[in-house]
Amino acid sequence: MTRRPGQHAGWLERVAESLGLIETLVPGGERLAPLAPAGELLRFPPEEQWDDWVEYDAQAWPRREARHRMLVPTTCFNCEAACGLLAYVDKDTLEIQRFEGNPQHPASRGRTCAKGPATINQVHDTDRILHPLRRKGARGSGQWERVSWDEVLATLGGRIAGALREGRGNQVVYHVGRPGHEGYMDRVLRAWGIDGHNSHTNVCSGAARLGYALWQKFDRPSPDYANARFILLISAQLESGHYFNPHAQRIMEGLQAGAGLAVMDPRLSNTASMATHWLPTRPGSEAAVLLAMARVLLDEGLFDREFVREWVNWREYLAARGRPGGSFEDFVARLREEYAEFTPAFAAAEAGVPAEQIVEVARRVAAAGSRFAAHTWRAAGSGNLGGWCVARALQLLSVLTGSVGTVGGTLPAGWNKFVPTFFDNPPPQKAWNELHFPPEWPLCHYEMSFVLPHLLREGRGRLDTYFTRVFNPVWTYPDGTAWIEMLTDEDKVGCHVALTPTWNETAFFADWVLPMGHGPERHDLNSYETHDAVWIAFRQPVLREALRRLGKPVQLTHEANPGEVWEEDEFWIHLSWRLDADGALGIRRHFESPTRPGQPVSLDEYYGHIFERVPGLPEAARARGLDALEYMRRFGAFEVRRGCSGQHKDPLPATALQGATTQPDGRVTGPDGALRGILAEGQARKGFPTPSGRLELYSRTMEEWGWPEHAVPGYVRSHVHPARLDAARGEFVLLPTFRLPNLIHSRSSNAKWLVEIAHRNPVWMNADDAARLDLRTDDLVRVETEIGWFVDKLWVTEGVRPGVLCCSHHIGRWRREQDPQGNRWAVNTVKLSADGKLWRMSTLAGPQPSDSDDPDTRRIWWRDGGVHQNITHAVHPDPVSGMHCWHQKVRVTRPGPGDRYGDVVVDREKSQAVFLEWLALTRGERAPAGLRRPLWFNRPLRPVDEAYRRP
Amino acid sequence: MRLGFVIDNRKCIGCHACTVACKSEHDVPLGVNRTWVKQVETGTFPSVRRSFHVMRCNHCADAPCVEICPVSALYIRPDGIVDFDNGRCIGCKGCLQACPYDALHIDPRSNTAAKCNFCSHRVDRGLQPACVVACPEQAIVAGDLHDGQSFIAQLVAGQPVQQRKVEKGTSPSLWYIDGDAAALDPLATQAGRCSATDAPAGRPLAELGVAAELGQEARLHYDAPKPEPPWGWQVSAYLVTKGLAAGLLLLPLAAARLLGADVPVSLLLACGLVSLLFQAATAVLLVADLKRPDRFLNVLLRGNPRSWLVRGAWILTALGAASSTLLLAAWRGWGAQAPLGWVVLLLAPAAAIYTAFLFAQAKGRDLWQSPLQPVHMALHALLAGAAGVLLLEPSWGPAPALAGIARATLLWGLPLDVLLALAEITLPHASRAAAQAARHLHAGDAAPRFWGVAVGGSLLAALLAGQADAPAAAALITLAVLFVRNDLWVRAGQMVPLS
Repeated sequence: MTRRPGQHAGWLERVAESLGLIETLVPGGERLAPLAPAGELLRFPPEEQWDDWVEYDAQAWPRREARHRMLVPTTCFNCEAACGLLAYVDKDTLEIQRFEGNPQHPASRGRTCAKGPATINQVHDTDRILHPLRRKGARGSGQWERVSWDEVLATLGGRIAGALREGRGNQVVYHVGRPGHEGYMDRVLRAWGIDGHNSHTNVCSGAARLGYALWQKFDRPSPDYANARFILLISAQLESGHYFNPHAQRIMEGLQAGAGLAVMDPRLSNTASMATHWLPTRPGSEAAVLLAMARVLLDEGLFDREFVREWVNWREYLAARGRPGGSFEDFVARLREEYAEFTPAFAAAEAGVPAEQIVEVARRVAAAGSRFAAHTWRAAGSGNLGGWCVARALQLLSVLTGSVGTVGGTLPAGWNKFVPTFFDNPPPQKAWNELHFPPEWPLCHYEMSFVLPHLLREGRGRLDTYFTRVFNPVWTYPDGTAWIEMLTDEDKVGCHVALTPTWNETAFFADWVLPMGHGPERHDLNSYETHDAVWIAFRQPVLREALRRLGKPVQLTHEANPGEVWEEDEFWIHLSWRLDADGALGIRRHFESPTRPGQPVSLDEYYGHIFERVPGLPEAARARGLDALEYMRRFGAFEVRRGCSGQHKDPLPATALQGATTQPDGRVTGPDGALRGILAEGQARKGFPTPSGRLELYSRTMEEWGWPEHAVPGYVRSHVHPARLDAARGEFVLLPTFRLPNLIHSRSSNAKWLVEIAHRNPVWMNADDAARLDLRTDDLVRVETEIGWFVDKLWVTEGVRPGVLCCSHHIGRWRREQDPQGNRWAVNTVKLSADGKLWRMSTLAGPQPSDSDDPDTRRIWWRDGGVHQNITHAVHPDPVSGMHCWHQKVRVTRPGPGDRYGDVVVDREKSQAVFLEWLALTRGERAPAGLRRPLWFNRPLRPVDEAYRRP
Repeated sequence: MRLGFVIDNRKCIGCHACTVACKSEHDVPLGVNRTWVKQVETGTFPSVRRSFHVMRCNHCADAPCVEICPVSALYIRPDGIVDFDNGRCIGCKGCLQACPYDALHIDPRSNTAAKCNFCSHRVDRGLQPACVVACPEQAIVAGDLHDGQSFIAQLVAGQPVQQRKVEKGTSPSLWYIDGDAAALDPLATQAGRCSATDAPAGRPLAELGVAAELGQEARLHYDAPKPEPPWGWQVSAYLVTKGLAAGLLLLPLAAARLLGADVPVSLLLACGLVSLLFQAATAVLLVADLKRPDRFLNVLLRGNPRSWLVRGAWILTALGAASSTLLLAAWRGWGAQAPLGWVVLLLAPAAAIYTAFLFAQAKGRDLWQSPLQPVHMALHALLAGAAGVLLLEPSWGPAPALAGIARATLLWGLPLDVLLALAEITLPHASRAAAQAARHLHAGDAAPRFWGVAVGGSLLAALLAGQADAPAAAALITLAVLFVRNDLWVRAGQMVPLS
């Protein structure tokens, strides 16, 4: 039975072939030497062969056809993790043939999730935008004409220069879906002198960030899963989220080494399914459960007394509670009183999980001690009113176990992240944009981006030039019709420029659509806190780099990319160059080459400057005979440091102690009163960058800014608390945010292999609820929100707690008939109309087979493109964090007689009313006089300190 | 050396990275997969879990796909990889039926069979398969099972491991650590609907779950799209045309040679000519069913002698040659009739019966493994032949003795066939899959056709055959019944999901 390829079956076949009766099969082919002895298989070609890797053509196999590839590293630009990719460039055709992981990347270590290799789909997407486009006709009418980059730069440059000259700088806004780079845009916007940065963060991680920042200023966790003994996740890091692939690898390492894993999630995520303890807590109850665990630790004496004594601002807490000068034991007693109400029984009643389970997990957490790793990012924090309390309560557990900043614990993200040094640093801007940081939300951690249409509708301002960059609020944000109304109103938005590689619902309402490259078509510097190390990675345009190595360099990236697809880095340099042609605005000098006066800076200069200043990189490069830039172009990533724990314990250097005073509360301050460190463990040490220099159990800031009841970690009953729900009326909590491991927001719809695996988003309902309502899988249901409804199919499952519905994110993409074809694997064709303030959408057709350059478009076998649910959500800005609270109180009914699958109805009057209801919860008026925001609070694109003060 | 896979379900997180890495490495078209991650939910809230199982070719040491492949397009390499050469493949889809693991598909670009080939083009260069490299959790382990020092061999030796369908005797080279019966057994869940995917267009959802029998609640959460069953009406029709062609030779010759019945040459010639016509139709149907009809000569000229598809082709070719020479001899009155007649008398039953062995080589299809199948095939040829004789005899006879034998064949043969069919569905089945397929016949979607046409029609035809004045009606109904009966059998066998 064994037969080698090309070996013929026998004489009959040979005769038949020679007579021409059957096709003559070409035997053999060139045999390449294997890399290793038979049976020993390597994971990647050795790096010395990357310039000319010879491999067999998989399609021609078993005929041995040799192909010559050049291996060029870049990073993935699907989720934020920026995992390493290795592009296999065919040296004959100069096309990217496929992507694998980059083994040199310290976080992803050569492995990818499904989205990494699917990048090739995005590069070869037949519907991608290849040239700059300008609208014809009215905005949103769906007609476009091709323009040149030169015309784009001239027109936009003139427009922006006009706004800057007239002092309307704050009307120029860059609104980003996800940065994917380190500090690049801050530099650009500072050079322009505008407070023009808006981001997506408050529909994403704003709540968690506030929860963490109140403790330690660092607003992200960096769990060291691999060395943990117990892991607690209020997230689904084994399948999604930041930073899915790197985190999943290390969580699994921890588990394989014997760690336990507890997961809080009302839905059975893949992560929950792998957990040793799944707590399907009722949405919004998570903080109560965490505080009950904290109570167990306190009551049973299972906390790290020495850590808390040295590193927590307990003295400040006691003073605020009326016992200044009390002992540590007084503090412990007072804290037990503080959390006395959070009995396991109380938490169990709130959460709907057994009290014994809460106690058991608490004891496992305590037993792990300093090797307790915890993580939350979106999930409960982003779902609920008061969701920011979840991260704050979770961090309380890390503090009590003494696992903050330890091996196997949870590090402040900043310790695991690299900060680049630029060739030129424009000064911070002096302006403050109240459309981004409105006075009602002085503590909001990021911009109040999702209420922008509501603020404009209130007449709070106007946008002259509005850049949306890989950002799709019409679809992704709640209340999408508010965005359509805003974007189509030229009085509110003078000019809308969409920077995007592919069509999306927001770009349909742009004036200019400018194609920017996918991961392998652009430059970015990446560094993320994926594990206990510091690393950098280099996203680079693969074909441009291949041409360079082949001795055919190009000047600008769009010369190497498909069509005229460009990249933001060069676009902003050249736009800045054009808008300040004579240098009168003082902008041009920040974009001038440091070595070639009068010329714009090149990206080789820009990144070369950064890389030459990465500790250890120039030396590592020289060891291979390369400079730092060349090293990064060839290998794509570099580990700057490994093992970053314990930095709060760093002794203050002698320079910092010069002229310093130790205050009675243990703070070490300079002559100006500024904090330099703290006295801890018998020595002056670095501590944490909070006002007290310690981990802030007690937040004076919360007290002073109008939220005294939240001076310590607490619990807020969610807007979807059971007390606000009537199950008998068919009311449920809808979790609209869960993510699938193979998709990423609205940016993976152009990847056919990913969409084939998931393209519909039925509403998950527990089997008991379904039985009670006499509903079955595939039945149509109308899901009524506060402002409208959507009609979806049902998915009956045991994998969600009763009373909770789930509907996955990513799916339900659409285009109107007049819009260009894009993402055809995933997009429904819809009819969208407004009757006064009542908007209706109905699905005309799901994804269909169609002709294109890719024969696979003919093979689309699914007809179900899902339902757009977010557009039926009202905005729910949390009064403290400003975060949109995603969970929805909904009512499920059988569809009405005219209801069809995919129908959406939204009442814009109601949506504005809901905004005003939530606005009324804010306490901006209680802010200390003269301040917009606590000075110690960070801010994206932080302006000068004076801008924090009201004029 | 024997290369194999271990899928470590202690680590698999159901992320589909392997699926997409494979699609990328081999540019696998939409609608088909060389590997995928089946996801099954078991238990009731809150004691519920979702398990993830990578599904793919098991690289069997005794690979049924290799045995059935008529042109040796599938083959086992010395390192144990089951590889394929799409330059040879004729697209007969036999391998899709033979594989118990649902590992093969027809590549819509080349219309040839394809599957996981362990990335043998990478292995020969010294690299791991693409899926192994991509997996974030290193849950897919590839290596030499025969090297006791290898990681994979130590896993297999040191961990509790499971395999799929060991009862098939295929010696798979793929092992699961922490395999879940609810996912490894295709009958544990209802086939069809998945959470985030649409059902393949135009394919009704099969309701074949027997979760209750396993005593646990198991629900499919994700599965790859299942293409149409590989064999359709062409194969059912081929069974009838071939039976008729064989029976039209068998019955008159047997009656004349063995029973001494008087059969006029004109009727012998008519039966022979019509047989040749249906032999031709059989060939046309067989070629038409190939996804690569242009390569049909490969069956004869590149044949794998162990494949019953090849053996059948040789038998049919020989029968065609022998029967046409016999006809020529009978027409011209040559003396060679006597030995040729005996040759045809041997070849005709072989042509009738060989398909039973071909279907038995389709190891994935439990219904077709019945030991009664050769009897069915022989009986169906006789019934078809009898029907043919009864239709031809009035014009090309008279041959009262032969007509009598033909009527008796229908009168007794049809009820016997019904009895055999009932025995097939009522006697204990060798496997749950066979029982499931049989249930589809008598209690599932096919039940009206089974009871109404296959059983009712047979008895009606037998009744009519007993009447002296209705032989033609009995014959026509018999042929129709035979088509439906075979069509049900062909389709029911493929109703049971393999993965």
